[in-house]
Amino acid sequence: MKIRTKLPIVFTAPTMAALAVLAFVPTIDAINIALQNRDLSNPDSLYVGFANFRALIDDPRFLNSVSVSVAWEILTVAATMLVAVPLAILLFETTPPAVRNGLCVLFIVPALLPRVSAAFVWRFAFHPLFGLAVYPLRLITGQPIDLLANPHTAMFTVAIVDVWQWGLLFAVIVVKLLETLPRQPFEAAKLDHARTWEIYAYIAIPMLQAPLISLVFVKMVESLRAFDLIYVMTRGGPGIATETLDMYAFSQGFIESGRISYASSMAVLMMAATTIAFTVLWRWARRWRET
Amino acid sequence: MAELSFRNIAKRYGDIDVVADFNLRVEDREFIVFLGPSGCGKSTILRMIAGLEEISGGELAINGKVVNDLAPRERNVAMVFQNYALYPHMSVYGNIAFGLKRMKIGREEIDKRVRSAAKTLGLEGLLDRRSTALSGGQQQRVAIARAIVKTPGVFLFDEPLSNLDAKLRNHMRVEIARLHQQLKTTTVYVTHDQLEAMTLADRIVLLRNGAIEQVGSPREIFERPNSQFVASFIGTPAMNFFEVDLAGASAPCSKKARLAIDPARFDLDGRSKVVVGIRPAHLRPARQDETANIIEGVVDLIEFLGNDALITFKYAGEEVGALVPAQMSPRVGDQVRMTFSDDNLHAFDIETGRSLAKRSQGRP
Repeated sequence: MKIRTKLPIVFTAPTMAALAVLAFVPTIDAINIALQNRDLSNPDSLYVGFANFRALIDDPRFLNSVSVSVAWEILTVAATMLVAVPLAILLFETTPPAVRNGLCVLFIVPALLPRVSAAFVWRFAFHPLFGLAVYPLRLITGQPIDLLANPHTAMFTVAIVDVWQWGLLFAVIVVKLLETLPRQPFEAAKLDHARTWEIYAYIAIPMLQAPLISLVFVKMVESLRAFDLIYVMTRGGPGIATETLDMYAFSQGFIESGRISYASSMAVLMMAATTIAFTVLWRWARRWRET
Repeated sequence: MAELSFRNIAKRYGDIDVVADFNLRVEDREFIVFLGPSGCGKSTILRMIAGLEEISGGELAINGKVVNDLAPRERNVAMVFQNYALYPHMSVYGNIAFGLKRMKIGREEIDKRVRSAAKTLGLEGLLDRRSTALSGGQQQRVAIARAIVKTPGVFLFDEPLSNLDAKLRNHMRVEIARLHQQLKTTTVYVTHDQLEAMTLADRIVLLRNGAIEQVGSPREIFERPNSQFVASFIGTPAMNFFEVDLAGASAPCSKKARLAIDPARFDLDGRSKVVVGIRPAHLRPARQDETANIIEGVVDLIEFLGNDALITFKYAGEEVGALVPAQMSPRVGDQVRMTFSDDNLHAFDIETGRSLAKRSQGRP
């Protein structure tokens, strides 16, 4: 009996150990650095306790980056789902399977593009003089419009690229999910006096609740890692209008002042905040589904 | 309450005719059963009534109103599906109330009707349960409650009992029969199970390859099958068939099989060969002095069925089944000599399979 109970541990231990090293060593190192006053220009450093964290609370640029990050999360996750679900329903309702499959392949292409390439393509598309995306606006207003240089429109413009990549991909996933649903409840609903929109609102989407919630979480994690997209398109600008937490940490650590410890404390805070936020949201979603 | 009329209804998928020229009138309050083997088009016709399949040709009218182009919800029909088709994320109450909510009926009225339907089907204690947490029989009951609560003009049942086990199936069959007695709603019921068809139907519509083989009461279909196909499809154990050479028109009797075929009952019309049929239950052991209508052979299989036993033997190259009381059952290897009364003989054209029974004898 002992052998039988220990054998799984023996087999999984090496993998778990490797994963633990990969996950925990950088994390512990980050925490360690966050508690010092290390600086790229100086080889020496001291432990300063929570001084970095205290400084963050009084740093308006940090607070701005937190609110930018939160706004970016909400904007991109909501926009992705709001594009993906209706687009999927539209595809599912109106196109024959062959056309639908062709469009699905087309919709996956943006997500296959490396994010940096997508960002460059779109940065050019939004170029005030030559950009294809702003061409109609230029025609209407008769003057060049730089959406990425305007603090009010910059984040939305970057979000368009994010949704272009992820909203379309998610639409394909939702179409495939819709295709897996049994047809009979839909037919029963048709006979139950439900209109098309009611069938989706009351039957199809609730039936897909679990996978849709998972997609939301996937997108939340993904949106947290939009550094490369924002970096290429705006570098956090104009000013600090699109400076997310990771962007600010990066610029504090490596670009502006080399304050590694200060940047590290931001990273640690971000990790803690996302862990807590995700745990709470996950629990909440599960409880909500069960009721 | 509603009547249905089908005029030249057709259904094509590409070049394939699934249903061609289907004509039928279903009277108000009637319980009609579409019976037939898989792929005979019975479910397709049902789905055309529901509006779930487009009608390729002809006219379908409910209560005199052509509904070909109406959406399902505008047809005033309710359907019970084979796999129940409940809304998995809703409670039993939610499932039953869903249609009423879509019909914009008041909350109190919905509550009243849901509870009354639940009471009819014995679901009172289950209203708050999730539909997926129920057994198959309970789920089908919810599906039926969901259909009756809307008080539709026509009920459609698409093989509603196929997914239930045998005992539950019998039970639910009785419940459906009772429900129809109580509600008297026009019902179209699709099944491949002849027992369901025989016990539930006012009239059976027997289908084959998308065309009607015979329409009639269960009794008519059983006693006066229109064709060899109907005769073989209806009745368990299945009817025995033999090819018979007729020896001369004056005394139609085969040499090989000593079977008398009465020209007064059958329209033999100079045929030299016919197919005759006799049901296993109509065969009985012959007395020594009986010489007419004798079928004999050596028993090679006995299936014990409870009260009866089905014995199988070879006669004139054909397998013959005969139902005998279980106590009188012979043993494997015994020689048996069976006979039957002339009235129970059926005869069919060898080419077309149509019944040769004369019209006065046959169906109206």
